Amino acid sequence: MIRLTIDGQEVTVPEGTMIVDAAARLGIDVPVYCYHQALGPLGACRMCLVQVEKMPKLVTGCTTAVTEGMVVHTQGEAVEKGRKGVLEFLLINHPLDCPVCDKGGECYLQDYTFEYGPGRGRFQEPKIQKVKNGPINDLVLIDQERCVLCQRCVRFMGEYVGEPHLLLEGRGVETVVTTVEHQPATSQFTGNVIDLCPVGALLSAPYYHKGRPWNIERHSTICPHCPVGCSSLATTRESHIIRMEGRPVPDRDWGWLCDRGRFGYDFGYHPERITDSWVQQKTTSAAQATRDVAEWMQRTLTQYGSGSIGFVLGGHFTAEEAHLLRRFAHDVAHTDHIAMVRDVKGYLPLSLNGTFEDVAQADAVIFVGVDPYEAVPVVHLKLRDRLHHFPQLQVMGVGPRRLTRETMPGQDYLIDAEDEAIFFAKALASRLPNDSRVQALIASIQDYSLPVSDADLEVFGQKLLDAQHLTLLWDGENSDMATVLSVLADVRENPTAVLPTFGPVNWRGYEQAGIDPQYAAVEDLLTKVRNGDIHMLVLWGADLLREFPDRKLAQQALEKADYVVSAQVVPPLDMPYIDALLPVATWGEVEGTYVNMEGRLSIGAAGVQPPGQARPTRSYVVNWARLFRQEWQDDAWDVFDNAEGDVLIRADAAVASEITLTRPATKPADGVWTVIQGAWVVENGLPSEILEPRETEFVGRISPDDAARLQIGAEGGYVQAQTSEGSVLIAVRPDPAIMEHTLWIPRGSRHDWAQHLEGVLTLMRPEEVPSV
Amino acid sequence: MFEGIKAMAQGLGSTFKALGAPRDTIEYPEKRREYSPRFRGKHMLAKDADGHELCVGCGLCEAVCPAHAIRVVAAEAEEGKAVSWTNRYAVDYEVDLIRCIFCGMCEEACPTNAVRLTPFNELAASDRLDMIADKEELLHPPVRK
Repeated sequence: MIRLTIDGQEVTVPEGTMIVDAAARLGIDVPVYCYHQALGPLGACRMCLVQVEKMPKLVTGCTTAVTEGMVVHTQGEAVEKGRKGVLEFLLINHPLDCPVCDKGGECYLQDYTFEYGPGRGRFQEPKIQKVKNGPINDLVLIDQERCVLCQRCVRFMGEYVGEPHLLLEGRGVETVVTTVEHQPATSQFTGNVIDLCPVGALLSAPYYHKGRPWNIERHSTICPHCPVGCSSLATTRESHIIRMEGRPVPDRDWGWLCDRGRFGYDFGYHPERITDSWVQQKTTSAAQATRDVAEWMQRTLTQYGSGSIGFVLGGHFTAEEAHLLRRFAHDVAHTDHIAMVRDVKGYLPLSLNGTFEDVAQADAVIFVGVDPYEAVPVVHLKLRDRLHHFPQLQVMGVGPRRLTRETMPGQDYLIDAEDEAIFFAKALASRLPNDSRVQALIASIQDYSLPVSDADLEVFGQKLLDAQHLTLLWDGENSDMATVLSVLADVRENPTAVLPTFGPVNWRGYEQAGIDPQYAAVEDLLTKVRNGDIHMLVLWGADLLREFPDRKLAQQALEKADYVVSAQVVPPLDMPYIDALLPVATWGEVEGTYVNMEGRLSIGAAGVQPPGQARPTRSYVVNWARLFRQEWQDDAWDVFDNAEGDVLIRADAAVASEITLTRPATKPADGVWTVIQGAWVVENGLPSEILEPRETEFVGRISPDDAARLQIGAEGGYVQAQTSEGSVLIAVRPDPAIMEHTLWIPRGSRHDWAQHLEGVLTLMRPEEVPSV
Repeated sequence: MFEGIKAMAQGLGSTFKALGAPRDTIEYPEKRREYSPRFRGKHMLAKDADGHELCVGCGLCEAVCPAHAIRVVAAEAEEGKAVSWTNRYAVDYEVDLIRCIFCGMCEEACPTNAVRLTPFNELAASDRLDMIADKEELLHPPVRK
């Protein structure tokens, strides 16, 4: 620790701290443009000049590390003169077009000029003209005239994200920030440069000219698009969400967002948004629809007795709403058949669930079936942050495709999804052959052979045991992994943390509200519907045909149910089977608690009114209770009851009592295509008009070799997939992460063809398909 | 009684005195009063010599307005269809003349000298909504007779 004096106040900070950060600890604000704690010192803008005693000249506070006994002055004549000079230079070629600049009112150049700058400039010559409102891509604009060349954006993209799509071009006063070869930046983190830019140079295209700091409201909320639930701010104006910004949380989160989260906020105003109640092919009033559904419930209950209605929850509801629904189901609809829609079979007990602190501490990270860049993009940034501070970070991918990438280099173990658990078990067994827990684990699969050499298994097993802080990201595809993970955590001496990346986004919140999160629960419920034990199906945000992997069961259940009621934001694929479609209020329209993949509780604020007839879940529940002639009273449940601070309390990990692994079915012969699925945040969930330019129709992916054989270019193309049930035209593009004879499709895709790919035999060019 | 006559004469005296004196009232609307050239009446939005609006929709008037009487919604002009002299313009510009206290701060804050308070003060309507001046109305300021 180092003691120093800043403006007469003593402060003790760790070695290596920069003067600006030490000053910030005392609440002394040193103006700064280029420095950002996440990016480290640079000293490009010269704004942070401070006076250090015994130093001949002013020094930059952001690049000067503190030393013992240092005496710093952030005020005084010399400092003021220095700042004034720097600002005068920064403003020489600045267009001074604040009235038309979106940053006006929240701009550091304005603030610092007002506070420290000269009243007027002495520069009389014509200013240099540069590109105004040029595109970085479809979502981000650049005004090069306003740029102060702090390089935050360039360094963020290049060093932090590792995708150097932005660069400085030209020299001296002609220097500009631009994209590589003037092509649109394709990174999915480009939106962060808008938050990073201290001036009005990088602007959000969808927010362009839409608001000013004094006519907007900012609501502290979370991003609803993936289980990370990034802390963010929703900007609203006149009851419309018009912008999302990252919300940094001190000591925990830098406030980065991916472009999906930053720009995908417009689903509430999407042209497809359901705003009318729809009962049996006719639009009707909200009151009538509520009455009709209540009548169906009553009819079902009188005819078949209690337990004849099933509820399936999905979507983006809050934990409180889930609790309301569960209570309604139990108290009013007299049923305990309530489950949540799951797209994978895995379930992770809370005791094993890690937090992002485990990413920040990890020395080894294993991706089990999940590529965080695609499924939970901001976790990729958190991993990049860790890699930045700890370059020895070991990254391993275990799954049916390559899961590491250029920006997250590591070793891939290419293992079929159903073999993942066995791979872990065998790796453990190779190092701990005498451990009883491990022996029990591999008892049933001892003779099952994996396409991995024994040497590789041993190396992997050693890494599993040697890691000081092991963090795993798990996609939930292989349900046996939960057992393996609990044994792994048990046999390891050092901390082991798992972060589940599967959805629904608020599944942990639903679980806290008392809804069974197991895949078996929803499967059982749908089987009961199919078998005629449940007669009415209420889908609350769940779209079975899109999200539930057993499409046949879902279809049969939907066909069999007497009544299917679906509360949705946009029309589901279940539409042909639905008797009543209810417009429901969603994220941004209802305040409530979301629990993210680390078991952390966050409040999502309500900023706007639900459009049209859309009503909050609560309104439906209370209305139905009234129609059932029941008094609805709130109970004393609260989701924070089970939390320490804002994190759910973990029970002690207990090794599963039954530790046997299922033996996968025999593999198909070589040369037959396999279909694998993965989460991709761009394709999942709610539609966005703003993000349309970013979306591709070619969501399927095949290996580059296969693509070459099928004559598909880098941007993608159509191929005919021959399946056991016929043939379907699919849109694919090459991806080097995909293995040969493998077709990758995003889970829960909005594309209808993605739901018809059971038993793909082969892919061929459309013209090669034999005519029937 | 004498006292009474005296009082009445006194009273009538001042009446007759005032009868011939110059008057403070005028016969509105046939006659209208002259105001100071700096009188602050209803707002207008000015255009430049090319017919482009001066207002760029920056919203500073909205920010400075102590009565929250102004609402500005800005947008980007379509390519080749400039409304103002730059690519940003005000789609909506509303002044709630019931709320307005005619302090003139909007005029003072305007960086493009677009908002100006005209001397027009004949503000009356039979509906509250008619007292909200929209952009079209403000672009065509009424002339005081």
